[in-house]
Amino acid sequence: MRRGILEKLTVWFSWAAGVTLLSAVSVLLCFLLLKGHEALNPALIFGETPPLRALLLRERVFDGLFPAVAGTLSLITLSIAWAIPVGITTGIYLAEYAEGRVKSALDAFFDVLAGIPSIVVGLFGFAASVFLHRHFSGRIGPCLLISSIALSFLVLPYIIRTTQAALEGIPRDVRLTALALGATRLQNIFLVLLPKSLSGIMSGIVLAIGRCAEDTAVIMLTGAVASAGIPKSLLSQYEALPFYIYYISSQYTDPAELTRGYGASILLLFLCAALFSAAYGIRKGLTHFTLYRP
Amino acid sequence: MNHSADDNIKIRVSDLSFSYRNRPVLKNVTADFAENSITAITGPSGVGKSSFLMTLNRLWEDLPGASMKGKVEIRLQGRFRDIYDRSMALTELRKKVAMVFQTPNPLPMSIRKNMAFPLKLAGERDKTAINARIEETLRMTNLWDEVKDRLEDDARALSGGQQQRLCIARALILEPEALLLDEPTSSLDRGSTVIIEELLTGLKERLTILVVSHYLEQVMRISDRVLEFADETIVSG
Repeated sequence: MRRGILEKLTVWFSWAAGVTLLSAVSVLLCFLLLKGHEALNPALIFGETPPLRALLLRERVFDGLFPAVAGTLSLITLSIAWAIPVGITTGIYLAEYAEGRVKSALDAFFDVLAGIPSIVVGLFGFAASVFLHRHFSGRIGPCLLISSIALSFLVLPYIIRTTQAALEGIPRDVRLTALALGATRLQNIFLVLLPKSLSGIMSGIVLAIGRCAEDTAVIMLTGAVASAGIPKSLLSQYEALPFYIYYISSQYTDPAELTRGYGASILLLFLCAALFSAAYGIRKGLTHFTLYRP
Repeated sequence: MNHSADDNIKIRVSDLSFSYRNRPVLKNVTADFAENSITAITGPSGVGKSSFLMTLNRLWEDLPGASMKGKVEIRLQGRFRDIYDRSMALTELRKKVAMVFQTPNPLPMSIRKNMAFPLKLAGERDKTAINARIEETLRMTNLWDEVKDRLEDDARALSGGQQQRLCIARALILEPEALLLDEPTSSLDRGSTVIIEELLTGLKERLTILVVSHYLEQVMRISDRVLEFADETIVSG
């Protein structure tokens, strides 16, 4: 009898938890839409500039979010581009090659890395840019390159861990299949194990994209500014959506500006959603390509 | 020593001990296996039958926590070779000593690509040669007529018995000299089991076969010799 109640309570609790989560997300989305829907128009992104001329970089956008969108997109692309090769190869090393003490030492090390607060990573990136400015070239300062490298450190643990977990989760039979057919270890990793783990690895990359898109602490110390136009080079300062949201919410002068801040938040959500769907699309295509290629 | 009997030996195992995660699995196993014969290895589960098979193609080296002592010699291309010697390339050994697992394990690709996979690993690029090999091997395993019209289909769409025969065919495509099978029919129905048993009997003139099996009837039906494992060693055979 007692057991029956406990069982029912567990089910109820699980339901309640799920419903709470769903309502929290919907309340958040509704709140954002309610507050920001007025700002949702082409002018939010492009200001007074004709959209096509802005997209072709013919004309600079002054009172729109286009530079911030461009900045955030370049930041994500660069950070992920640094983090993917390092993260995946480290994950492969940990899952397939590291043993014993080296493995447990590295495991602990990456746990620590995962736990470092982003503001500390930002501070380190800032210190690094100051150091480079003094000792190498006066042209180097807080910039897109430094930000993206600092961010890639922040998201490395996600990619390493998901790669490692995906590889280690492959059942023994599958792991031995190609080896028993005369595959070398490397052939086995590239032809069987990695294609099998792609979806796991991709979920790590999706997490990393989300983290790069939202992080404010790192970029405000390493190169994001309120007004810079679209990023001109790796060594230039840039605008970013989360930084704009942070800036506008703390410095707004009239309700219209705050509405634009909400509009920027919605834009950031859309951007993330678009990137996630792109990542899932790539995953599907890639799995198909690696396993079924001619 | 009887010379003619010696001539007939394909695999010679001496003083083999094996342990997994510091637990002894096999102790001082010594055995010979004759060429072109089927040897059945039986015994209760957990006595090291599968481990024993893996010492013959060194597959255990890819399992963390396994260790082995002793000597295994296999006559490859007419010459006895210590397979644990430095001169023995691991990939070369596994091409010559093929293995089939308990659960059919086709890779998630088409039937043709599954068959071509070992050839591609070995560096074969000639498409015509690959296709000819595939047809020849599938005919040898009596699978050709069943799959010739659906070579591009996903191999996992085949029935369990067909999948296992495909795995046997895939293992045979590199023309191995010995074939190790770890309970190859334990996940199959009776009809498929009989087909695979007939297949193995037919293959024996080409190579040396070792098959781990739980089923006594099966052992009686197909094997020339039975080795019974218990308590970390061979108790009869």
